[in-house]
Amino acid sequence: MSTAPTPDRLDWKRLGLSAGARATVRATTEALLCDEDARGRLQPPRDGLVNDVVDEFDHSVGRGSIDLRRGYRVLAFVLEWLPIFVIRKPARMSRMSLDDRVAYLEGLESSRVGLLVMLYVAFKVPLCIPAFEEGEELALTGFDREHTTSRRRLPTVAAAARVEGEPVEASS
Amino acid sequence: MTARAPASPATGGRPTARGRTVASARPISSGDAVVHGRDLPAGFDESCDAVVVGSGAGGAVVAAHLAEAGRRVIVLEEGPYYRPEEYQRFKPSESVRRLFRESGMLAAFGIGETPIISVTMGRAVGGSSLLTGGVCFRIPGEVHHRWVHDLGLEQLSERALEPAYEDVEKRIAVKPVPLEMRSLSTTRFVEGAEKLGIAMHPISRNTGDECEGNGRCNFTCPAGAKRSVDVAYLPSALRHGARVVSDALVTRVLTDGGRAAGVEGRLLGGEYGAPSLPFRVRAPMVVSACGTLHSPLLLLASGIRGSNVLGRHITLHPAVRIVARFDEPVNGWDGALQSAYSDDFAEEGIKLVSAYTMVNVLAAGFPGVGPALRKHVRQLPYCGVFGGMIHDEGGGRVRAGAGREGILTYEMSPRDLARLRRSITLLCEVALAGGAREVFTPIFGAPTVTSVEGARALEAARPDARRTECMAFHPLGSARVANDVRRGVVDEWGECFEMPGLFVADGSVLPTSIGVNSQVPIMSMATRFAWGMAERRPAVR
Repeated sequence: MSTAPTPDRLDWKRLGLSAGARATVRATTEALLCDEDARGRLQPPRDGLVNDVVDEFDHSVGRGSIDLRRGYRVLAFVLEWLPIFVIRKPARMSRMSLDDRVAYLEGLESSRVGLLVMLYVAFKVPLCIPAFEEGEELALTGFDREHTTSRRRLPTVAAAARVEGEPVEASS
Repeated sequence: MTARAPASPATGGRPTARGRTVASARPISSGDAVVHGRDLPAGFDESCDAVVVGSGAGGAVVAAHLAEAGRRVIVLEEGPYYRPEEYQRFKPSESVRRLFRESGMLAAFGIGETPIISVTMGRAVGGSSLLTGGVCFRIPGEVHHRWVHDLGLEQLSERALEPAYEDVEKRIAVKPVPLEMRSLSTTRFVEGAEKLGIAMHPISRNTGDECEGNGRCNFTCPAGAKRSVDVAYLPSALRHGARVVSDALVTRVLTDGGRAAGVEGRLLGGEYGAPSLPFRVRAPMVVSACGTLHSPLLLLASGIRGSNVLGRHITLHPAVRIVARFDEPVNGWDGALQSAYSDDFAEEGIKLVSAYTMVNVLAAGFPGVGPALRKHVRQLPYCGVFGGMIHDEGGGRVRAGAGREGILTYEMSPRDLARLRRSITLLCEVALAGGAREVFTPIFGAPTVTSVEGARALEAARPDARRTECMAFHPLGSARVANDVRRGVVDEWGECFEMPGLFVADGSVLPTSIGVNSQVPIMSMATRFAWGMAERRPAVR
C-alpha cells in the first residue's frame, strides 16, 4: 500500500460499505493493528496504514455481489452493537477506547459461541491480508524479499539442465 | 470507457424472455480473439457450433478440443480477462479482489454442527486454475472402482479415462516436485512423519521444470511457471478460431423444440449505473462449465428440474491447516507451495498435504489482537504449515440468491466432523515429532498445543465446530453424472438428460467426492466429454 495502485479499467473503484459500516471497520482495524509502547500502553497504528487497509477492504467488498455487500453491512452493524453482550460495556464499538476495543475483539475471538468467533474472523482476515502485505508490517513477518510479488532468485531445474547441456523436455 | 447504447427493437433487436432486447445477428464488435466484454459498445447476437459458458478447468479444455476438431467455438466468461504478464504482478490482495469470486470472501454457511467454510473459487478467464497450488492427482483407483461397480458408470472407469489423463498431463506439464524445491517447512513435517512411520510422497504439479519456489502459487505465479488453462489450452483454442468474451454473464440457456439452441445473458463490469448490454449466442451445442456453484443455477434458470438432485449433494473436501513453531528459522516461503503428501490415512478419509501461503495471509490467521497479534507475526520465519483434507460425504446445496451469486449451505456429517478433528490431531503429532515447540491449531480461542496429549485432549473436548477455521478448494458434484435420469443430471458423456444439446463439463458432474485435488480430474472428464461431442456432433456448415 505504500505504492499508489495502478489505475485499472478492469478494477475501477466501487465502495461497498456505508459510512456507518466504514466507521466500524476503521475502529476494528485500529484495534487489530495497534501496538504497545515501552510502558505497555496501547498505541494506535499509523493513520496511513489504517486508511489504506479500510480502503482496500471497502474496495474488495464493493467488487463483490450485492449479497456480499449487504452481508457485510449487516455484520458491521452487529459488530458495532455487540460490545454490551461481550464485555458488558454499554457503548458502540466505534466510540470505545482503544483498550476497550482490543478487549472486545479478544472476547469475540475466545468466545465459546462459534458464530461470534466467525463474526470476528469475517473482519480480521480480510483486514489483515492487506495490512501485512507491504512496508513495515511485511518486514515484521521476516519475509526476506522486497515485495510479496518479488521472485525468489534461484535457478530452476530447467535452467540448471540447460547450463549443464542436458536436453530439456518440452513443457507442453 | 466507451459509451454504450443498448440495442432496441427499432434497430432490429428482438425481445428476450426477460423483456430486454438483443441485436439481431449482430457480430461481436471487436476484432480481438479475447474480447473485454465491458469495452464493447453494443450487445451482440452471434452463432457458432458450440458456445462454452466458463473458461476454467472444464470450459477451456472443452473449447480447445472442439476448436481443434474444427468447430466454431465462442467462450463466454463472467469474470475479467487479465493477461499472464498482468496477473503475475498482482499482490495477494489484488489477486483476491480481481481474480477470486466474491473477492475471496465466499463461504459455505454451516448447518448444525458444521464450520463456516471459506470457499476459494476463481472468477476470471482461466477460472480457478489461476489460483490452484498446482497440485495434480488422478482420481484414485478405488473411486473409479466405486463409480463402475456401485453406480454402474462403465464409461468412467480408470481405463476409459486413461487417454484423457495422459492428454491432460502432457498439456499442463505434470511433474513431481523435485526435492530441491521442497521448502524447509515441508521438510520438517516430512521428518516428523518419518519418525512416526507415516509415508510421505512427492506431489506432482503442473509447473514442469520451471518452478522457482516462490511459494505463492494460489495468488498467481510471478514466474509464470504454472500451466493454468489460460496458457495451456486457450491459446490453442484461439489459434483454431475460437473467440473468448470476458465479462459476459450467461443467464439462461435458449431452447428450440426441447433442444439446447444457445444462450443469452448480459455484459458486466461497466461503470456503475451504466446499462448492462444484453447478448445472445446461438449454437446447437451448449456447454455449461461455470463451476459447481453456478452450473446448477444456470440449469435451474433454464428450466431443468434435475430430478431433485440438481444443486444438491455438493462435496467440498473441507480442509484445515496447522501452523507449527520451531526453534530454528524455516523461512517456509522459500520453496514450492505444496510438495509432499501422505495417503496413509485414506481409509479414514483423511489426506495430509503440505501447504504454505503468502506471509501476509498467514499473519492474518494468527490468533491475537494488536500487540499479541504482532508478537505472533514476528515468529513467522520459525513457522511451518501443513494441512489436512477430508474425503467428505457431501452435504452441500446451492440455491439462487438475490444477486448473481448463489447461496451455498453445507451440513457436515458427524463422521466427517470427527475426521476433521482427527486430522488436526494427526497434524499436531507430525509437527511435534518434527521438532515443533508449539502448534497453532485451527480452533479459534484454543491454547497452542505443545504435546501429543494436549492435541488428543483438544480432539476429545469436541469444541464448537464453528470455532474451526475451515477451507475448501474443490466444490464438486452438484450436477452429477448418472446412467439414470432419476439419479443424476447428465449422462456419462456429459449431456443433460432433460435437454439434449446441453452439456455440463466442470466439477459439478463428478458423481462422488474424490478425496484428491480436482484440477486434473475435471480437466480429464472435460477432455473425454469434448472428444465425445466432437465425435457425435459433426460440424454444421
